[in-house]
Amino acid sequence: MSLIFILIPFIASAILLLLRPAGLSRHLALVASLANLVATAYCLTCDYSQGMNCTFSVPWVASAGISFSLGMDGITLIMLVLTNLLAPLIVLSSWGKAFENEPRYYGLLLMMLGALNGVFLAQDGLLFYVFYELALIPIYFICAIWGGQDRIRITLKFFIYTFVGSLFMLVALLWVYLQTNVNGQHSFAWADLVAVPLSPEAANWVLLGFFLAFAVKMPVFPLHTWQPDTYVTAPTGGTMLLSGIMLKMGTYGVIRWMIPLAPEAMHTLNPIFISLAVFGILYASIIAVKQSDIKRLVAYSSIAHVGLIAAGILAWNKAGVQGGIIQMLNHGINVVGLFFIVDMLERRLGTRSLADMGGIAKSAPKFAALFMIIVLGSVAVPLTNGFPGEFLLLNGVWNYNFWLGVLAGLTIIFGAVYMLRAYGLVVFGEARPETANFEDVNPREFLVLGIIAGLVIVFGFFPQSILGLTEMSVDRILGAVQL
Amino acid sequence: MTALLILFLTAIAVLFVGLKYRSLLQPLALIGTLLALGATGYDLFGPGFGWGAEYASMFRFMPFADAFSGVAILATALIIGLSGWGFRNLNSTLGDHYALILFSLCGALIMFSYTNLTMLFLGIEILSIPLYVLAGSRRDDPAGNEAALKYFLMGAFATGILLFGMTLVYGATSSFDLASISRAIGNGDQMPSMLKVGILLMIMGLSFKVSAVPFHFWAPDVYQGSPNLVTAFMATVVKTAGFAAFYRLFAIAFPGAEGFWSVPVAIIAALTMTVANATALFQKDFKRMMAYSSISHAGYLLLAVLAIGTEGADRALLFYTLTYSLATICAFGAYIAVAEQSGDGSFSAFNGLSTKQPLLAAVLALSMLSLAGIPPLAGFFGKYFLFTAAFAKYPWLIVLAVINSAISIYYYFKIIIAMYFTRLSAEDSAEADAPNGIVLPAGVRWAVMLGLLLIALLTLAPGSVYGLI
Repeated sequence: MSLIFILIPFIASAILLLLRPAGLSRHLALVASLANLVATAYCLTCDYSQGMNCTFSVPWVASAGISFSLGMDGITLIMLVLTNLLAPLIVLSSWGKAFENEPRYYGLLLMMLGALNGVFLAQDGLLFYVFYELALIPIYFICAIWGGQDRIRITLKFFIYTFVGSLFMLVALLWVYLQTNVNGQHSFAWADLVAVPLSPEAANWVLLGFFLAFAVKMPVFPLHTWQPDTYVTAPTGGTMLLSGIMLKMGTYGVIRWMIPLAPEAMHTLNPIFISLAVFGILYASIIAVKQSDIKRLVAYSSIAHVGLIAAGILAWNKAGVQGGIIQMLNHGINVVGLFFIVDMLERRLGTRSLADMGGIAKSAPKFAALFMIIVLGSVAVPLTNGFPGEFLLLNGVWNYNFWLGVLAGLTIIFGAVYMLRAYGLVVFGEARPETANFEDVNPREFLVLGIIAGLVIVFGFFPQSILGLTEMSVDRILGAVQL
Repeated sequence: MTALLILFLTAIAVLFVGLKYRSLLQPLALIGTLLALGATGYDLFGPGFGWGAEYASMFRFMPFADAFSGVAILATALIIGLSGWGFRNLNSTLGDHYALILFSLCGALIMFSYTNLTMLFLGIEILSIPLYVLAGSRRDDPAGNEAALKYFLMGAFATGILLFGMTLVYGATSSFDLASISRAIGNGDQMPSMLKVGILLMIMGLSFKVSAVPFHFWAPDVYQGSPNLVTAFMATVVKTAGFAAFYRLFAIAFPGAEGFWSVPVAIIAALTMTVANATALFQKDFKRMMAYSSISHAGYLLLAVLAIGTEGADRALLFYTLTYSLATICAFGAYIAVAEQSGDGSFSAFNGLSTKQPLLAAVLALSMLSLAGIPPLAGFFGKYFLFTAAFAKYPWLIVLAVINSAISIYYYFKIIIAMYFTRLSAEDSAEADAPNGIVLPAGVRWAVMLGLLLIALLTLAPGSVYGLI
């Protein structure tokens, strides 16, 4: 079953890239991503109380202890929901644009989808690393081919940053791998890697190696400098993939790989990591308040939100991890919605500057209403999807350290300030000549925004539907890895 | 042994056929190499021919030698596949070209299988002498002549040093036989200084041959000046042969003296990867960039020599040379098609190739990604196996190697950026649509497609080759 999540996108991607069916590419991409969504829905009905389910394992390089091994539990399942729920929306949001060489765009997008599913499903250390890197190649091409100004320099910086970061992870992974001994052979299987007892010094290096890789991806201050430029220059579909799904590879990696592999070093290093995450929240929030470019504003808000997710997970208690997982899903939904709105504004007005907007509420009431719902979700108003996650996350950080919890709590205030400020500047105020004729949402855009706004409300009212899925898996991993 | 005979006879046949039937040359050379490949495969996978595996304790075709022969013969077959087009401008000397390539390959096979220092020396000479001629085969091209002369002088110099080293080793151990040398060295606690100097000189001589820093100065000029296919042959078959010989010598004859030679080899490896990568960053010409890239890969490959004694070091070397050869040949195949048609070998010749010739661009992009070691491509597994093998002994060197592979992304990606991300000006796009844009000759198409297929195969099932020996 797990293999389907990788096979469907890769096969569809191969068809698009090799056969280049010009007219059909977007339909094929939509069908493939919807097929994955159906598969995800089927997996929701499986039983995850006994640990990994839907496993699939074949030896890959048998003589080196590497296997192609997949499996899912509640945590993976939420990540699959995130990926496969957003993928059709991302395809749909690109639908209206004319791309040069369209099959290549959708082919790369699907390749990315398969790799992301692989990251979340991998139960073998090297397989995880391979998918983690594989996800980078299509997104690099997407951003560098269809991106905006100065894209070559910015995307190369992005590539080298993230690639170098993950090389540290590879070295750390190798170190642990070389300490494993299963019947006289090394092994990359998750359980074997976790079972290795590390000396305090080695554990420090291993933890640091993993942290560098994931901190670049999330990104955590001070490794975030690639992110705003890349988000701004990337085409909207690429930005959605990056912010909605790809950065969750980092936070997921912390839960599944970083902390379980080297819990011995958490006492020494974790205070530094959490402090960086919390500092990053404040830093990004303050910058976001000052932004005049709306795409850049959403990019910084994403750093702040992900910083909170990272801090909650690093606190490694039930509230923090549960909140982190639910917030990964909800942040993905919100940020994809926000970037879609930014894209609509940019396409209609030809600018991203907040100073040039205003008065859209009169000409486009439906747009303004949907935008409002998504903004409320993003600032974590109760009964929207942002609230339960941020509440649990703050609770988790609070339990770890009172003062860090207080500082992290400022994120909600700052979030309300910069999001509502942006909303006000865009939607209210005097209409300008350019914005007076702002065209309201068309049916396709209404579909995308409507689904997102619907999810914001549904997950806000019924957070238990997600928390219930992950609870047992979170208990299991917290029980297995105690600090 | 069978493969060696087949190749030798094919080479002689090619020489004579070339006098009259020029159109038969490429098919004949191709059939010969494929037969040799089949014979090697039969020895390696099947029951084997059961004869000639060992000859007068001079060489021995064990799985190690068979597997490496397979790599070298496969690489040569691909190069011959490219040659119908790459050699099309040669008139009178076409037969000599194929014969020289095949003779050179015979030398490589000896270097994979020698058990005696004299055979090592003969193998290196048989490999090198045809190459001196091939490097200068464009007689009216000054750059080609410069390359040939440089290659010959440096090669002869290196051989002299190597020979001097062998003599000293013989003096200290009174044997040319690898196993006897190893016995004479014992565990290496009482090594006469003559032996130490001998080993050092042999390291130097072999470093010249595999173009490791600081003995690499000949390589960029020779690579750039030689005809493209000869450069591809040097970068793949010659490098594979050099490293297999290097590995064999130190694994069989000098394992006892590891405490002595490992430090200089580690320093050479560290220097090689760092200097070559740093220099490659500033290249503007594809072939010159590939020359430095090939030097940097020599640095990584030295890790296999350092990992001698670790389980899997020889397999890592085999896998790495195979993936490296395939990617390099694919890259050269694409380069030949681009550079010979546009008459320009700089990076800007690749601008907009993804629209002009999508297949070629895809092949070149995947080769570059594989050479850079980006997962999940075969080149990543090559690096992975190599680094894992040497990790336990030299963690600091692996960290350096990892940093260097990150640096190498920058120059490999220059090609990808030129092909995919550089938007063409209106004038250029008009030219791309014109019928006289870049055409892909059939031989080039088949060779690069086959190379690509093999890379894909190694990506999906690395264990198939890694588990061979």
